[in-house]
Amino acid sequence: MEKPTKTNLDTLAGPSAEVNRIPVREWEWIDFLVVGGGFLVLVPILSAHRMTDIMIFCIFAMSFDLMYGYMGRLSFGHLLFLGTGAYCCGLFIKYVSGNPLLAIFVGIAAATVLGMLLGPIIVRTTGACFSLINLAFNHIGFFLVLSPLKSITNGEDGFGVHAPSFTFLNPGSKTSMYFFVLFCLLLVFCLLKRVTSSPFGIMIRSIKEDENRVKFLGYNTFLHKWVTFILAGSIAGLAGTLTALNYNYVNPNVMDVHSNVGVVFACLIGGAGSLYGAVVGGVVYMLISNFLPIYIQRWEMFLGITMLLIVFRFRKGIWGYIVEYFEKKKVTRRTIKEAVER
Amino acid sequence: MIYTILYGFTIGAILYFISIGLSLTFGTMRVINFAHTLTYSLGVYMLVSFIALFKGSFVMAGVLAVAVVVPISYVIERFIIRKLYGESLDYTFIATFAVTLIGIDSIKWIWGVQPHPLSDPLGIYMTIGEFTFPFYRILIVLVAILLFFALELFFKKTIVGKIVVAALEDEEGVRCLGVKVHKYFSLVFVLGSALAALGGVFYAPISAIHPYMGLSILLLAFAVVIVGGMGNLRGTFVSAFALGMVMSVTARYWSQGAETMVFIVMAIVLIFKPIDI
Repeated sequence: MEKPTKTNLDTLAGPSAEVNRIPVREWEWIDFLVVGGGFLVLVPILSAHRMTDIMIFCIFAMSFDLMYGYMGRLSFGHLLFLGTGAYCCGLFIKYVSGNPLLAIFVGIAAATVLGMLLGPIIVRTTGACFSLINLAFNHIGFFLVLSPLKSITNGEDGFGVHAPSFTFLNPGSKTSMYFFVLFCLLLVFCLLKRVTSSPFGIMIRSIKEDENRVKFLGYNTFLHKWVTFILAGSIAGLAGTLTALNYNYVNPNVMDVHSNVGVVFACLIGGAGSLYGAVVGGVVYMLISNFLPIYIQRWEMFLGITMLLIVFRFRKGIWGYIVEYFEKKKVTRRTIKEAVER
Repeated sequence: MIYTILYGFTIGAILYFISIGLSLTFGTMRVINFAHTLTYSLGVYMLVSFIALFKGSFVMAGVLAVAVVVPISYVIERFIIRKLYGESLDYTFIATFAVTLIGIDSIKWIWGVQPHPLSDPLGIYMTIGEFTFPFYRILIVLVAILLFFALELFFKKTIVGKIVVAALEDEEGVRCLGVKVHKYFSLVFVLGSALAALGGVFYAPISAIHPYMGLSILLLAFAVVIVGGMGNLRGTFVSAFALGMVMSVTARYWSQGAETMVFIVMAIVLIFKPIDI
């Protein structure tokens, strides 16, 4: 019989060993520079206003990726939290106070509270049930702002959000909004990087691999799932408040049930399960859905065919293949080096 | 109130037509098919074209529309769904939704985006006592009930039906007996798609026709399948009519709340009886 070598043990240990082998990197300055620099470089090519839009979508995609890519729960109703953030922020500015920072705080708090309330119901479920129950709640939320709360939300027409400038944040100015959203994006990236590479992050990845084993080891999986759900919800709420401030306008379309597909597409295009993947996917998806219709009339067909190709051929997404390419190169270099030394 | 009940039965019948295929695909292939109602909208658009072609012969156009959907759904099954057996939920969802996107875009390409009007093909009214019913709606309900019994017979008496029911219970077991299950699955898929197209044909004259019509009814069909139980044929029948009734009763008192009520029911069912997929 073969002696159990180290690699052998790894394969014997199964999926849990897989988790340990995922390179867990701490937050580094290089990430900060790459993401921030990337978005600054794109500004002259696209316009600052478009970039703000794309960055907001990237924040949303990252929050979705935390739940889908890291925890393995696919939600069809994540826009509920974005909509809650947008509406609470907008209503706060309209009825209470014009301070945009306070409004952002209120929007995030509302999304967090909603996540806390819905979490215990939703996170108990898995797979299709999780997706569809999210969808049901999203539908209910969409309906609530559309019809029963019409007197304050103005129903289908939505309402304007006109926040006056507050110290460094001026929602009326495109440049100010751009830098504020960039700051938020970097903050969220930093936070999520921290969270996903912490023991907590390893825990939620383990839940994705096999929840029963994690439970068997004595961990409280419910708590981990709940906290992740709340975190994803509150970041989506942040994206919602930024949407409201950026457009100076809120209407029920921000939480339209059918738009949920976009963020799932974005995560898969970029490569699920990595923050860079979510950012790259968000940018690419926004470029496809914003610019392609100008050049090709049948852009939905193009998107559909792209998605089929990704599902059947290129599962890892753009970022996944970039990482794979560089890792292969590294391995080749190392083997050459070892051969030379020998 | 009588009208509300009739309306509920009509909606229930349409929902039954559409969700039976979804339920069967769920139950047999373990694939969540978001492309299911694509065949529904395709059937409707085929109907519109064929009516123009045959100068208004509704029955002829309807039969042809359903017949045209059959090969299309076979192609979808053969090249998309069959590759998704045993895949995880997210890939299935993306692939079938991509198919829907392609289908919707083709519909827009061929027929344009503007809604097509279609009138009640019968125009006969029935009078019972002091109430007047459009006969067409009663016909839909009758066809749905007939279909239910036909399907019951199909799944109880014919060998194909028996194999499918057995596969719903235990796919591996049936395969061990030497039956090529996938052949029957594709048959079930085509049957379900044709029934969805039939539902579309029936529903077209009393609803709006636009390229995205399939998406809005898809969510309702999901609600029906979940409330009724996946792959549970009788459950689907009961839940379709129950949810149709929920919709029409809600619409009577609170017209905007009709669809949302269905989702509230679905959420409650999911909370108390979670499904495992």
